[in-house]
Parts: sequence; C-alpha cells; structure tokens
Amino acid sequence: MLGSVRSATLTGVDGQPVTVEVHIAAGLPGYHVVGLPDAAVRESQARVRAALLSSELEWPKTRVTVNLAPGGVRKTGAGLELAVALGVMLAGDQLPAGALEGIGVLGELGLDGAVRPVPGALALVDALARSGAGVVVVPEANAIEAALIDGVEVRTARSLGELRACLKGEADWPSCPELPSESDDHPTDEDPLDLAEVRGLAHARRALEAAAAGAHHLLLTGPPGVGKTMLARRLATILPPLEAAEALEVTRIHSAAGRPLPSRRLIEQRPFRAPHHTASVPALVGGGSGRPRPGEVTLAHRGALFLDELGEFPPSALDALRQPLEDRAVHIARSGVSLHFPADFQLVACSNPCPCGRGGPTCACSEVQRARYRRRLSAPLLDRFDLRLPVRGPEPADGPGEASAGVRDRVAAAVERQRCRYADWPWRRNAHIPAGALARLVPLDGDAEEAWRWLIDDRGLTGRGAARVRRVARTLADLDGATVVSDAHVLSAALLRDDVP
Amino acid sequence: MTMVDRLGSEERAAAALVCAPGMQPARVRELVSRAGSPGRALARLEERVDEGQLGELLARRRTRVYVEGRPGYPIADALPERPAVLLAEGDAPQVLDRPRVAVVGTRSATLHGLRDAHELGKFLAEAGITVVSGLAIGIDGAAHNGALDVEGGGVVGVVATGLDVVYPRRHAALFDRVRRAGLLVSESAFGAQPTRWRFPVRNRIIAALADAVVVVEATIAGGARITAGFALEYGRTVLAVPGSRRNAAAAGCNALLADGAHPLLDPNDVLVAVGLTPGARRGWGAPAARGQPTGDAAALLRACGGEPATADQLASRTGLAPDQVALAARELEKGGWLARDRGYLWPR
Repeated sequence: MLGSVRSATLTGVDGQPVTVEVHIAAGLPGYHVVGLPDAAVRESQARVRAALLSSELEWPKTRVTVNLAPGGVRKTGAGLELAVALGVMLAGDQLPAGALEGIGVLGELGLDGAVRPVPGALALVDALARSGAGVVVVPEANAIEAALIDGVEVRTARSLGELRACLKGEADWPSCPELPSESDDHPTDEDPLDLAEVRGLAHARRALEAAAAGAHHLLLTGPPGVGKTMLARRLATILPPLEAAEALEVTRIHSAAGRPLPSRRLIEQRPFRAPHHTASVPALVGGGSGRPRPGEVTLAHRGALFLDELGEFPPSALDALRQPLEDRAVHIARSGVSLHFPADFQLVACSNPCPCGRGGPTCACSEVQRARYRRRLSAPLLDRFDLRLPVRGPEPADGPGEASAGVRDRVAAAVERQRCRYADWPWRRNAHIPAGALARLVPLDGDAEEAWRWLIDDRGLTGRGAARVRRVARTLADLDGATVVSDAHVLSAALLRDDVP
Repeated sequence: MTMVDRLGSEERAAAALVCAPGMQPARVRELVSRAGSPGRALARLEERVDEGQLGELLARRRTRVYVEGRPGYPIADALPERPAVLLAEGDAPQVLDRPRVAVVGTRSATLHGLRDAHELGKFLAEAGITVVSGLAIGIDGAAHNGALDVEGGGVVGVVATGLDVVYPRRHAALFDRVRRAGLLVSESAFGAQPTRWRFPVRNRIIAALADAVVVVEATIAGGARITAGFALEYGRTVLAVPGSRRNAAAAGCNALLADGAHPLLDPNDVLVAVGLTPGARRGWGAPAARGQPTGDAAALLRACGGEPATADQLASRTGLAPDQVALAARELEKGGWLARDRGYLWPR
C-alpha cells in the first residue's frame, strides 16, 4: 500500500534529491500532497490521473496521500509527476515491489501518458547520482543532457505505458537518441561577427584582446556611433573556449534556467549576455518573486556580461552588480532558503562620456554636468574596470583590422600560460590575482619598475589603480608570449586605463 | 574699531542702503541717482537695517565701502550702469591702484584653455598688472590661481553673491587666497545667494573694473561673451584667444574675433592694450629648453598637430604599435610636451 520513488527538484541552479512517497489506504477518494509543494506540484493530480487512465492503468478509488521528503525543501515545477505516477503504480501493485530500487525518475506527464522533458535535467541527474541512484529514467528529450553525468546509467522514457513494460521486464528499454553530428548544427541567420570589420582603433582592439585573455572588466566610452558597441560585441568572437569542467558548469546553469541547449548537448562557447538597460534588479542579479531564478550575471557565468549604455541602467541595478563583481557569486537569502548562484563573469560596458556624448575636447558640457553624469555611474563601479578607454571613430586612412581568428589564437595561448602559472592557486586568470600576491606573481624588472614608479609618483596613480594596471600589464605580457613584464607593458596598461570620462 | 572710524558717514549709509531689506543693485543705482547721494537715499528709505548692528558687522569683517564719486572708488569712467556702491574685503586693497586686466572664460574649459588662463594670469601678475575675474570654475579660477602663484601678484575677484557667501563651494580655498593677496568685490548685500540673474549683472562690474578684457575660452552662449559685450560698450579693449573650430569651448572666442576683437597671440599684446611697454621675452611660458623630442616621440607629437588626440588616433596616424605609442607618450609626458586629460593626449 506504500510506494517510494526517488526524484529531484531544482533549488536555484542546483538539484536537490526528493523522495516521493505514495500511500494508498481505505477511505473516501481523495488526493493530498504534503511536503512544501508549489502550485505546479499540487496540480499534478489531474495530469497523473489522466495519464494513468490514458495508459490503461488504474487510478485508486480510495485515499491517496503523496509525501515529498525532505519536508523542509520547497518543491517546484512539474518534474516530479512521473515519480508520483510510478509511486501510485507501486502502491497499487501495478508494478512489482522493488522495480524502482536504486532508480531515479524525472519527467513531466502529458494527459495521454507521454513523458515530457524537464528543465535543469543536468543538475537534477547530478543530484540523483550523488544521492546514490545508479540508474536514472529521464524523458527522451533530456537523455543526451543526462548522459553528461558520469557514474549513472541513463534510461529513456517516452510514455508511461512503455515505461511500465520496461520496468516489468516485458519490453526492452528504448535506446538513447544519437548525438547529432557536428554538421547538423545549423549556422544562425545572423552574419557571423568578426574583428576584421573594425577599422583602426589599435588600442581599443588591444584592450578587447586583453579583456578576453585576462578576464578583465572593460569599459569603452565615446560618442554615439563610433563603434563602441560594434567592438564590444566582437568580444564573443575572441573569448577562449570553455574548459571541460567549466562547460559542464555553464551547461548546468543554462539547463536549470530552462534555456535551450545546443544540439550537441554541452555549451562550449563562453556565454555572452547583453541585457537591455530596462532590465530589473532581479533580472540582472537573480532572485525575483516565487522561485528564485538565476539572473543575467549567473547566465554570464564563465563568460561576459555586456551592458550597452551603462549610464542608462537604473542606479539600483548598477549598485546591485557590485557584490557579484566582488564575490563572483550571488547569495540570495529567503525565509527558509539561502541560495548560491555562481556569477564569475567579466563585465564589458559601453557608455557615453558625458550628457552631450562627445567627450574630450569637443565636449560642450560643464564640469558640473560631467560630475553629475559620473555620479550616476558611481565611482565604486567605475573603479572595478581594469580597462577603460575612450573610443573615437577610425581615422580616414584606417584599413580593416586583424581578423578574429588570429586574435583568438593569441588569447587562447595567453589563457594557457595563465592556467600553467596559476595551477597551484585558487584563481585562473590575471584579473583575479589578489592584490597581496601581485608583487610575487607579477615581478617588475628594472625598466618596468621605473615606469611603474613614474606612474605612481608623477602621474598620481592610486594604490588600487596601480594594482589594476599591474594585472593588465601581466596580461599584455602573456599575449606577447613574454615571461617578464616590460616597461612597454606597464605603460600600455596605464594607457588602457584612463580617467573617466 | 579703527575700520569703522575710517568709514565715513556716507560710506556707512551706503552700506546700509545696499543691505536694506529687499534691496537689489539696480534699485540702489536708481535711488542714489535720484537722491544725489547714498546718505540722502537712505534717509528717504522706510525699511532699513539696524545700523548699529551693520556697523559692528562691517567692523568685524573689515569690509570696505566704495561709493561712487568718493575717493578710492575704482571705476573712473562715468558709466551709466556702474554700481553706486561697492563692498570689498581683502588684505590688499592697493591692487586696485595698478593697471587691471580681466581674464574671463567658460566653466567648461579644455586643458589647453586652463593652461592658457593660468599662464596669462601669471604673466600679467609678473608685469605688475592686477588680474580681475569672477572666481568661477574653469578659466576664471585658473587665471586667479596663475596670478596668485606669483609673489606679490594682485587679484580682484568680483562675486555675484554677498561677500559672506562662497560660491562655488569648491573654490573655498581660492576665495581665501584671493582675500589674502587681493580683494573680493561685490555690489550685493551680505547673504545674497547665487541666483541665476546675478551672474550676467555681475559681469558688467568685471568689464567696468578692467582696462582690458581677455577672453581665453568661451562657449557661443557663455557668460564670458556677456562680459566682452559690456567691455566693448564701455570702450575697453577686448582680446580673445583664437581656437580650433572643433573646440566647442573656443567657439565664443572665435565669434568675438569675427566681430573685431583683437586676437591674443602673445600676452605682450595685453601690455600694449593697457599702455605698458611689452617686455623683451616672448610671453607664453614656452617649455623649458630641453631640446626637441626625437624618434617616435617626435612623430607622435607631430601626429597630434597641436590638437588633443586619443592614443588610437595617434597609432593610426603614425603607424606605431600600441606599445611604442605608450613608450613615446611617456617620454613626451616626462618632457612636458604632452599631458593626459579625460582620456586624451594634449600637446602643450
């Protein structure tokens, strides 16, 4: 009279194992769910009942109680329905006892008994595997994704009736769908971006390259129409590929957020997120009413978050970015839950330098107007940009620039150098070197030291600014394939981090 | 109490008239013209301040009162709009006895404009000329500071507010410097706030006090052009520093030049304008004789063409790699040929 099935639910972007217990006992017909279900879970009765009846199975004419354990965790979404249905079958002796021993089950049901895919399958299967399930049954559409998790056998379910037959041993399990071949990946309709389209702007291009290689935050300022956005968008074309562990991490997050995954299951490109400036604070950093959802900063994890027209974002949204920028994670505390969203992104932003947009010598704004505009952007946020420089349109004689492919190779080599250098440290990229370790990890020789001292003593570079210049100098050296940071690297780094605006 | 003793009864009456409740400069002018003197104008006034208290305030602040037609009143020409009464505070009233040149300009000045104003203030102070300006952000402040950087340099700051109000707040330290080395002048009562209309009205005093007016940088609609307009009306020589058509902060100057102002190409021109003999040396503080930059640095400086440029533009024009630009820019900065401001490289 009792059936117990393993399943899992999403909290934030992580999976949480859930045991679904179904009890059928004498009493008036009724259906009760206990264990902090949300509305979607409570609604499951109608779908489970219809799915069972459509599959020529029985729905008990007595009292059904469903318990979702552990009781303290809020269960969300419809992904527990297949487990409930199997629990009812177990409790009603429609399945042999022990048929689901060591098996985790995920899936949503259609009224016709079809098993439908669930969001976040990767995180859910991972949670089930870690809780000791040796086999997971997942909807067919989630099978490729689920197979990414090691140490667990993936079985696919297409419909409730077929699944029952397989579990009873009356039929063979349907085979996992084939991994589509690479040629099946349809190119997108958009013209592929390439850095070759950017004319001139030698320093701005170098800043972009350094940003990609060292994971530095980048701010481009300039009048409208000079190509800031054009340049920034092409960062995506030179970002280094994700490492295997990172790819899994990113795929997990995007899967949990319910975003479409590439047909070849793993996300291999670094994410490049570009929210519009009307984005709300929860949309940017995560949270929101109901189930807390990952924000843009989390979707940009291990990739880049591009904010065009930084000055147009509401100040509250920009202030909310400061904590994830510092911690590279977002912590959301709610009554009952405390969530942790990873948010290791690099920030790329474009902004007009002042209200008139022209900046520099042709600016018609007063000092007061400029100061007010700067305040909108808030000094603590501006301070976090390692690279910030003015962009002006190309000169008349400028020809097309270097193509993305060549830049991408240099970036990949520089990233590899960093990976080797920081093998024994908890960070991987130059932008993340703590200030305390700079002197040891980025030593400066005679000329470089002199340039460095000149910047601090004569140019009035602040301590924090000097640390940022030093990190960028290291990246420039890595891009040049140099082991030692030279004075040219230090001075170039300083040239790429200008006063704003 | 010596100061109060030194203030004659007419001066005390004039101060009381200026500080009378609800009084405005234009009305002071009108009342004094009609009555013949501040004393008689005050006598006809119904609402007055407590003259004992005002006397104590004037004594404590050591305020001077200049009354039109009385000894010490600094504006010699009988201009119809000249203030009937001027209040002044500062440790060096003798700066009014020297030739006076107004150096004025926009608040949104470029680095070049600020430098020109500073150098001009310094040059004029070294020539024994008092620099008159309005203590505003930008050109005004730079000119004051330039003159104050000279030992014994004289300045007059004409403020639009009361003498006890510091506006802009950011210039509090400059106000102190001006008080110590020169004079602060106002035609408004104590406590008068920086309301918008007071500034163009104040500008006529700057023009009236000066023997010549130099506009260093001015936007097309800026207050500096108002000052220049008054100066032309009063028969003062107006000089303007020409600038590029691309520089929004030079548009006002270029418009003045088109209208017939003298182009200021050498600060000695100002000396000529106020009837002094120009000195032997060329006026603009030329970069010290360090020789000329060579190699990449020279190419970079040439590529600027005297105008501010971004590092990107210089790289494109010279064909130098970013690293070479950075090295050359440092050399130029060290030599004082180049400065960085708002993301641009500015040749001197």
